[in-house]
Amino acid sequence: MINDKNSQKIVDIIQNWARKHSIWVLAYGTGCGAIEIPPTMTSRYDAERLGVRGAATPRQADVLLITGYLTVKTLKRVIRVYEQMQDPKYVIGFGSCTINGGMYYDSYNTIKVLDKYLPVDVYINGCMPRPEAVLSGFAQLQKRIAEGRATGARHYKENLEWYRANQKKIIPNWIMPEYNW
Amino acid sequence: MSMMKELKENIIKRIKASFPDAVEKNDFNYNRLDFIIDKNKVPSMLLYLKEEMGFIHLSHASCVDWLEEGEFELVFIVWSPVDKIKVFVHTRVDRDNPVMENMDMIWPQLNTYEREFRELYGVQFTGLVAPDEFILEDWQGPPPYRRDFDTAAYAEKTFWHRPGREDAQDVRETIASRDGEEIPDFAKKYSR
Amino acid sequence: MNILGAIVTFIVAFAVGMTYGGLTRKITARIQNRKGPPWYQNFIDAYKLYSKSTAIHHGALHFLGPAFLMVSSVMTLLFVPVLTHNNWFENLTFDGDLIFLIYIMTFGPLGMALGAGQTGNPNSAIGVTRGLSQMVGFEIPWVMALVSLMIQYDTTSVTGLMAAQEQSGSWLMFSSPFAFVAAVMAMLGMFRYSPFDIVGAPTELASGPVSENGGKFLFVMMSSGSVFTFAKLTLYVDLFLGGADNLVELLIKTFLLYMIPVLYGTVSPRYRTEQSIRWFWGWPSFFGLLAILQAVIF
Repeated sequence: MINDKNSQKIVDIIQNWARKHSIWVLAYGTGCGAIEIPPTMTSRYDAERLGVRGAATPRQADVLLITGYLTVKTLKRVIRVYEQMQDPKYVIGFGSCTINGGMYYDSYNTIKVLDKYLPVDVYINGCMPRPEAVLSGFAQLQKRIAEGRATGARHYKENLEWYRANQKKIIPNWIMPEYNW
Repeated sequence: MSMMKELKENIIKRIKASFPDAVEKNDFNYNRLDFIIDKNKVPSMLLYLKEEMGFIHLSHASCVDWLEEGEFELVFIVWSPVDKIKVFVHTRVDRDNPVMENMDMIWPQLNTYEREFRELYGVQFTGLVAPDEFILEDWQGPPPYRRDFDTAAYAEKTFWHRPGREDAQDVRETIASRDGEEIPDFAKKYSR
Repeated sequence: MNILGAIVTFIVAFAVGMTYGGLTRKITARIQNRKGPPWYQNFIDAYKLYSKSTAIHHGALHFLGPAFLMVSSVMTLLFVPVLTHNNWFENLTFDGDLIFLIYIMTFGPLGMALGAGQTGNPNSAIGVTRGLSQMVGFEIPWVMALVSLMIQYDTTSVTGLMAAQEQSGSWLMFSSPFAFVAAVMAMLGMFRYSPFDIVGAPTELASGPVSENGGKFLFVMMSSGSVFTFAKLTLYVDLFLGGADNLVELLIKTFLLYMIPVLYGTVSPRYRTEQSIRWFWGWPSFFGLLAILQAVIF
């Protein structure tokens, strides 16, 4: 929440501090990168000391982890899940498949660039990123939240027509409502 | 070893007695035997192998695209747990109009294999009862596993690609030079 | 009754309950050989949930779920004497409030059932059914223990039982041991830790009744859970461990009592609903029967 140019009010500073130390991750592994999430959450590379915890439903979660490739079939469901989450929400793109298509750059069924369909806050590169890299990605997200720049959700709301046009071009059979509450 | 050879000779003799136009190939591993047969006789041959000769386990079913000869080749692999021999049954189907008979009353898992062939290769099975879509959702292009389907061109046309992939920079060196870090010695031999 | 005293009681209960939640996570983490979150993590979670900027609700009844939970927790808290002989925490009390407490403690989950039913999510409905079935399980030994206490000391109010402890000079833990054992076994089910956490665990049915609640709803549910925890622990300390004269003694006693379900929970797997009900109607009810027999005969 940036109020006037580059300064934040004291309430925003406290709010961002609380938000960055308690991040709830939706337990949804969209691609093969989800195999690096359990080692990050369990005893050796403990992610709970940063406040990162698993959440069961989109209504309770803050962060959607897109771990790896997204097929067109999964993209339809992920859009629905993303729109059911409550503000403020963040998206982390895992692995090189979200950046430029990765290993599946010439596949007929996966999307190549995630940025055109969902607003992404932090990318973590690797194939798959090791737990140390995942933790550093979370630390980067924490830094962005503290500065007030993690505004992907607001960007999505303001440019909804652009995102919808991109999504409808890829998904031929759009049978969902215009916005999924 | 010789017992296996005798078993194989036995199997070849029995199959050739029932299906005279089956061509056998025996120059593989010691426990593998191949037969090539016409496509109309495949259901009865698989049934004969399962019921009479003890090959009760279907290991795999696969489809090979011979683009130059204009044919699809279907391969069924059956295994006998008693004799420990696997038998490959090959048959050829015409590529422009591939039609085959449905065989999932012999082994129920052939239902899934036939759905895969129908969606990804375009092979029609008469009498197959299954939903239309299998893996791909709302797919309107040609069957994607055929060899004349150019996936790279299709992906280039349909999806937007992020520019910058063409120059193929080395990720590790780029990031190291950008952040001012040194690549350690043990990792240098993996760089290009 | 003192309004200021009630507010102070509520704030103390909230703070202590949340701290115990954070300490539980830390202790569980240390048992699992890792560093856990800091002890104030639950406060941060609560503030983050409170500051969610959009709220998605499914109608008016959906607001009733968290509201009923909070009302039930606060009512339970106000009837439990927090410190003995203290003017600040002298809340409500009347003859027969022990029976009243048994009824009020079941009021919260029933209200949440209304809210969960309104959302239309089948996960919530099944989760609520499981929660209420489990409650049928642990209520039997709990009520048996309390009834045996009431028979033994001829009083139905909590303050009466505390006075009886002061008179006889020994804690009820030692003079009615079977009631204490049955009540502690029922406590394992009340706090919903392993092995009885099938109701609200995140991997079971997408966390059961809480599944459609996010943001401020979840904040109210978490706070009411903490307040309710403190109320139950204080009730146990008053009934069995002789009450507490000052806050430090209360904190020590409640913490030691709280460690029983927490430590047992870190090493147990989860029971299904029918297995948990069968367990509750086994040994804990047997001890409850022994307690009633002891109260009637001796």
